[in-house]
Amino acid sequence: MDTSITRRGAIYHARRTLSLSLQKYGAVVRVSIANNLAYVMEVFFRALLLVVLVFILSQLWRTTFSARGTKILSGFSISAMVWYLVAAETIAMSLPALTRRIDQEVRSGQLAYLLGRPSSYVFYNFAQYLGERLVRLTINLVVGSILALIVVGLPHFTWMGILAWPLVTLLALCIDFVAYFGIGLLAFWTEETSSFALIFSRLTLVLGGVLAPLEIFPQPLRSIAQALPFSTILYGPSRTLVHFEPDRFVPLLWQQLITLAVGSLILLAVYRVAIRRVNINGG
Amino acid sequence: MSLIKNCIRTLRFIGAYLVANLQAAMEYRAAFIAQVITMIANDSLWLFFWWTYFRQFPLVHGWQSTNIVVIWAVAACGFGIGMAVFGNTPRLAALIMNGGLDAYLGMPRNVLLHVCITASDPSAWGDIMFAIGAFLLILRPDPLHFALFLLLALQAALIFAAFLVIFGSLAFFLGNTEGLAQQMLGALTTFSTYPMNIFTGVVRLLLFTVVPAGFVSFVPLQLLQRFSWPLLAGMTGFTLLFAAIAAGIFQLGLKRYESGNLLGMQN
Repeated sequence: MDTSITRRGAIYHARRTLSLSLQKYGAVVRVSIANNLAYVMEVFFRALLLVVLVFILSQLWRTTFSARGTKILSGFSISAMVWYLVAAETIAMSLPALTRRIDQEVRSGQLAYLLGRPSSYVFYNFAQYLGERLVRLTINLVVGSILALIVVGLPHFTWMGILAWPLVTLLALCIDFVAYFGIGLLAFWTEETSSFALIFSRLTLVLGGVLAPLEIFPQPLRSIAQALPFSTILYGPSRTLVHFEPDRFVPLLWQQLITLAVGSLILLAVYRVAIRRVNINGG
Repeated sequence: MSLIKNCIRTLRFIGAYLVANLQAAMEYRAAFIAQVITMIANDSLWLFFWWTYFRQFPLVHGWQSTNIVVIWAVAACGFGIGMAVFGNTPRLAALIMNGGLDAYLGMPRNVLLHVCITASDPSAWGDIMFAIGAFLLILRPDPLHFALFLLLALQAALIFAAFLVIFGSLAFFLGNTEGLAQQMLGALTTFSTYPMNIFTGVVRLLLFTVVPAGFVSFVPLQLLQRFSWPLLAGMTGFTLLFAAIAAGIFQLGLKRYESGNLLGMQN
């Protein structure tokens, strides 16, 4: 009897803690969204580069299709290709300067003050990052979709693809967070973290399929790129939206979950070691 | 004679700042080396992708897969030299907005040149090394072609710097244009690394005027493939004209500049 009451109490306590945490970090996400909406024109301004990139790539693909004299290339029509590029660029160009922020907080010592707050430093930053990224993602999607509508007209998405896209995109954003936050923490040991962030970003763009679906790569590069975690960030979500296939969707989800789990474990290990190096002095 | 003396003095002035900026970057030797290596890796990754792409999907109109190496080498070298020598140009709009030009106005040197050369982007050396390495190793040019490549890269560097000066100087008239300058630089570098064959009509016209990517990649490619004196004269003429327009807009804007009464020193 006593054991049952104790267990119920523990479950109630855990639920309440989880509920309060969700409320707390939910509030951080809302504040972050509000902060970024306050500078919405600046975000629109940034989306102009997306217009340039999608325009150039759509011109390139039009020329390639025309030079080949075909309407389908590696399973993609020109319309599907342009919508794929919009989906991939929308995710790629919504990345905020997370590594730089973490790097500066570590170097300036501001991290010591943030650690004293009644919230986890990692989850607080995740909530802030998510709010910022969601605003950028939404605006990029609006701008990119308008451009794609003008260039190639309406897309041929399936309902399954539209419903699955938010889930795989959210997981992609989480994988990005784990990677860039971890790189930012390297400021505890190295003089310079922007180089690591740049290389990770370029590998994500090139091997992750921002310029073209991975199907166009020759073998064995295609298989290598598909097996690497970078493909779960851009190629996986974009292909899910444009060409939804249940046989590919389930393996993609597994690949994303495994990447996220392994990445999170590495991040937490790095974080625990890094936190031991923080010295807090009075004054 | 005095013109030549002035040119030599200006080059020595630029050289002195270049050496000082390089020495400052080398103070953080590990970070500097990391940035250079990262930039070489970054450029190589892009080139590898496009090399693979154009080998698989060759374009028409006489396009060869080695052309992408020429385009990337000239654009990367031009951008690298531009950011290594005139590395302060991306900050021009912010300096104008914050009254940061005060420190340069009392100096005996040309204000615009002085502002532009006081900073250098360490990662730009990675771009330069990548470009020269890719050009020499992949294309194996003769000495004349290599000399022409360097000349064209220098002109591309001037175009990049002038482009940033133009959009940075708009801050004199429109308020903070730092974001606009960054976006436009992104557009110029992006357009510069793709074949011009894929653009037609108004876009092509824009790429030879407002966003002069055609003079950063297309014209140098033509010159390196089939050299002609009139085309080189056209390229040089455009570069000088573009630089003169940038200097003119800056001088025009400088008349509207209001000091920020900012206490500080040039660093």
